[in-house]
Amino acid sequence: MPGLRDQYAIVGIGATEFSRDSGRTTRALGVEAVRAAMLDAGLGAGDVDGMLSYHGNDSTSSPTIAGDLGIRLNFYMDCSGGGSSTEALIGLAMGAIEVGMCQTVVIFRAMNGYTEARIGGTGRQAPVFRGGSLDAAIHGMHSAGQSFAPSFMRHMYEYGTTSEQVAHVKVAHSKHASNNPRAFYPQRVTVEDVVNSRWITKPLHLLDCCVETDNGVAIIVTSADRARDLRHKPAYIMGVAGRVNKEQPGGYHWTRGPISRVAGHYAAPIVFGQAGVGPEDIEVTGSYDAFTFTTMLQLEAYGFCKEGEGGDYVSSGIIELGGARPNNTHGGHLCEGYTHGIGHVVESVRQLRGQADDYCPNWEQGEHTYDYSEHGCRQVRDVEITMNLGWASPPTGSALIMHN
Amino acid sequence: MAEYLGVRVEVASNDPEHREFLEAAGRGQFVVQRCPECQKLRYPIGSACPFCQSLGYEWAEVSGRGTIYSYEVVHHGIHPSFRPITPYPVVLVELDEQRGVPGPADGLRVLGLLVDAEGRPEDEERTGIGARVQVEFADLGDGLGLPRFRLADEPPEGEVWRYPD
Ligand SMILES: [Zn+2]
Repeated sequence: MPGLRDQYAIVGIGATEFSRDSGRTTRALGVEAVRAAMLDAGLGAGDVDGMLSYHGNDSTSSPTIAGDLGIRLNFYMDCSGGGSSTEALIGLAMGAIEVGMCQTVVIFRAMNGYTEARIGGTGRQAPVFRGGSLDAAIHGMHSAGQSFAPSFMRHMYEYGTTSEQVAHVKVAHSKHASNNPRAFYPQRVTVEDVVNSRWITKPLHLLDCCVETDNGVAIIVTSADRARDLRHKPAYIMGVAGRVNKEQPGGYHWTRGPISRVAGHYAAPIVFGQAGVGPEDIEVTGSYDAFTFTTMLQLEAYGFCKEGEGGDYVSSGIIELGGARPNNTHGGHLCEGYTHGIGHVVESVRQLRGQADDYCPNWEQGEHTYDYSEHGCRQVRDVEITMNLGWASPPTGSALIMHN
Repeated sequence: MAEYLGVRVEVASNDPEHREFLEAAGRGQFVVQRCPECQKLRYPIGSACPFCQSLGYEWAEVSGRGTIYSYEVVHHGIHPSFRPITPYPVVLVELDEQRGVPGPADGLRVLGLLVDAEGRPEDEERTGIGARVQVEFADLGDGLGLPRFRLADEPPEGEVWRYPD
């Protein structure tokens, strides 16, 4: 892969609205998002011949989406997976194009994440414990938050990390969301709001957890050669790492420590090695925020701060617009809406184009005020390199570095 | 029919490992798999030894004593059967056997509900990292049991750390 740096690019982005009442099928959401990405790129049905999606048995397959849009596919694959899939599929799209299976690939995620299949599975649990559920679910662990919490608690124990420090992740993302007209939660919140919100599972308060929504989001990957003829400045892919694991004997990563260290520890050398840059070169991060802690642990794992110093890092102002390295300038899963990570990649593309769709009247022309107060701008000035840190769980993550 | 908190517990006929594990718990024994090649213990149940890839295993009874390595307190119950017992602490217990193997940060760590002498969720104020625990067994019926933990009557390892409220 090192030889593929800058040979591929993201050329199209598209999304539906983020809601809690789509009133539509994932088929309709997926079609709208894919169509929007094609229009954004300036590609017609005959110009797209590959499609990848990811799902948790809660979506619509690629051939159906493609068929609705009159696209004939030379390659498709619908993978099982949630967070961390986007970056992994970008790498697979590059591989598929590289070997000649297809030329231009749409990647989409369509989900009714609130009205149909909620992430925590609320109301969908099987009324029986069997098989793998005999290892964790029967002991009272039934949601992503519940299964991640021991890692978060251990970090607090090992390093003295506080809820107030970590709450700054939500505070920062809420500020960013207040400058994102599409954000589901555009209201700014304070550290006090976070730590005074009700407990979900200690150490997670309600506002430490992301907002489940209904939405479809899509991106288009093609070769740099084709990218240059399309509508927008390409977002060139410098490096990618997909679904990198920690050791997890029996699917149970807690037996191998440190458990507060997440998979980014192993993904970092892969993705930085390909890209030929280091954390100090990254100007904007998109660190997956299923929970406030998730963002922090990944920023540590990728070396944006030392292990154990994540609490200081996220509460220092660095991750806010106007700070040295803003994170999730769209508001992320905590505030914009839950997309299983693909929304974070879309935001990186917007930032690299200089076209963050904020309240600046001429954002489409790349004209921004850089005034980050509420209902203002969310474009970072002169962005050249972005990085996405995708998360599935403490022991599984993906990463992507792009430049313009 | 075996059940736990009013929910049916089933073990597939092609899953003898989980059946034997729950049967041992039904007899009051906490067992884990031991590799016949390298002799290392492993948890949870797996189809090979993660240290030497041997496919074989034998059951080894462990003491069921250990130290809380991490924990959480579930306030917002998801599974209908667990909602009535919220808030409840789920603990990650590092068993006394095989600590620091294969690396210094590794160990046999086991999830379980922390319960009091009556089998109710233990008070959060008594839960914390460093506290010593011992296994006990919930009776699932049908000869099956489920390991859970309760606080042991012995001094903690260092000072007990709990979430600073
Ligand atoms: Zn072995």
